[in-house]
Amino acid sequence: MTMSLMMIRRAMLIAFIAALIAVPWVVPALINKFWVSVIAEIMIWSLFAASVNLLFGYVGLLSFGQALYFGFGMYGVAIGISTFGLSFWPAFGLGIVASVAIALVAGIFAVRLTWHYFAIITVVFSLIFYFFAVSVKSVTGGDDGINFTLPPTFSFGGYTASFSNETFQYFFIFAAVAFCFFLMHRVIQSPLGKAFVAIRDNDTRAELIGLNVYQLRLIAFVMSGFLAGVSGALFAFFGRYASASYMFYHVSGEAVVWAIVGGAGTLLGPVVGTTLFIVIREVVSTHWEHHSLIVGVMAILVVILAPTGLVGLWNEWLARWSAREKVPATRTSLQSEP
Amino acid sequence: MTESVLIVEGLTKRFGGLTAVNKLNLSITSGRLHAIIGPNGAGKTTFFNLVSGLYTADGGRVLFKGRNITGLKPYEISRIGIKRTMQIKSVFPQLSVAENLWVTRNATNGVLHPFRSASSDHATRERVEFTLEQIGLTSLAHRAAGTLSYGDVALLEIGMALISDPQLLLLDEPTCGMSPAETSRTVDKIKILAQTIDIVIIEHDMEVVFEIADDITVMTQGENLVSGSPAEISGDERVREAYLGRPEDEDYVEEAAHA
Repeated sequence: MTMSLMMIRRAMLIAFIAALIAVPWVVPALINKFWVSVIAEIMIWSLFAASVNLLFGYVGLLSFGQALYFGFGMYGVAIGISTFGLSFWPAFGLGIVASVAIALVAGIFAVRLTWHYFAIITVVFSLIFYFFAVSVKSVTGGDDGINFTLPPTFSFGGYTASFSNETFQYFFIFAAVAFCFFLMHRVIQSPLGKAFVAIRDNDTRAELIGLNVYQLRLIAFVMSGFLAGVSGALFAFFGRYASASYMFYHVSGEAVVWAIVGGAGTLLGPVVGTTLFIVIREVVSTHWEHHSLIVGVMAILVVILAPTGLVGLWNEWLARWSAREKVPATRTSLQSEP
Repeated sequence: MTESVLIVEGLTKRFGGLTAVNKLNLSITSGRLHAIIGPNGAGKTTFFNLVSGLYTADGGRVLFKGRNITGLKPYEISRIGIKRTMQIKSVFPQLSVAENLWVTRNATNGVLHPFRSASSDHATRERVEFTLEQIGLTSLAHRAAGTLSYGDVALLEIGMALISDPQLLLLDEPTCGMSPAETSRTVDKIKILAQTIDIVIIEHDMEVVFEIADDITVMTQGENLVSGSPAEISGDERVREAYLGRPEDEDYVEEAAHA
């Protein structure tokens, strides 16, 4: 990659982060306050789509069951607060630990398989727990879910910070999601991340050069469960609510579409895909109830016309543009020859 | 040196009714380049798949430097120091040439660091650069491996074998599908490699076999028909009958032996 390309990317990333930081002040002034919480929700669902992306885009495993880990993150928080009376941070921790633990259990079985078998077993796992969650109404509240009152996030002396302050809520979600994306970025650039991509590219070869493919897939699966669990816990805080309906495979499928349309195998692809579809949903659903038709048509178009997703398309376009920029220099050097 | 690096005893692999490798006995002497030849379907590649752990044997055992490696997983066998190339060239197509080497170099580490930046690993980076020069692909270091020409992919595969510091290298038809120029380039690399690494090579090109092999094993129908020096093999009646039996091919082996 040339320097100018790297600089363009870096500048865009900084502008993107600056825009997100400005949201709580700029968006109410330009549109309305409601869109601040829509953007907060987009960040949470982007993280959920990133959990699909880590598995599919970097390890080559297509999971249709990520809602299970999202749901465990949600219920960890909700049950922690409403049943065990935990405060904010222990409840957050419980949600994450619960989703990582169930991801480890499911992963031990699931990563023995690949491709459609893997996709099927992840769906089956999430369905088992979905029906389980619906049936044990006394614990989970079933489809009605659990409502709870959110304890403060920080309190020292007389000062407390809690999600009842919408600006605090927004920045807490922003910080947590940004931190997870940063972690994922570090993993992708690390020796572990290179091994993930090697497995995605050619698993037989990966095994023959000495990579423990099963173990590495399991690590990726648990990491992906962690990302889904954090997003589920954040969503529980955000809605003060947990429900079995978020464990249904329909939720998993949406994340797969967001990740693939945005660009699987790129760090920010899931953010782009999630943003696009949630904005469409929010804008169109008030006027037209069949907004998912638009989503379906767009998903099909992107998969056919831009198999690397929107971010992949953008990267290709950038690369071509920077290659064209170099052409005049080559021409002048040719012209100097007789 | 007469020490055996690899001993195969009664190795058997069945696919349904077909016995691909049938009670194979074989001894690979350390320090000598060993070629395995035989007609199509003789079980040569199956034998490699058994040694490298991709297939599980139905019987018999494989000893590597006295250690029984039968039943180990492919990555475990790889970490012991047995590396192989595939008949159909096999690299990581979306990784760059340098990344292919990089990931191969680090693959045998038990723990892969999850957060340290891969590019800050100077020792590995220097080794990658050194290997790139060895195989002559420095100028293509940042190209995706999937976009390389066939001959360059073959060189990359050899580079991946090199950078992992193997003790025993299994080459499955390394010159298959190559132009004469690419073949001679590859043969030269193999000769250099053979000075420090024990190599077993499956090869159909008799010119190549008789040029580089110290020992030759002829396999037919999953069995070891005969093992011996190139001179012994080219003079062996059974080899002529089983492998080069057709009259029009008879002078081929002699030609190759004198090549």
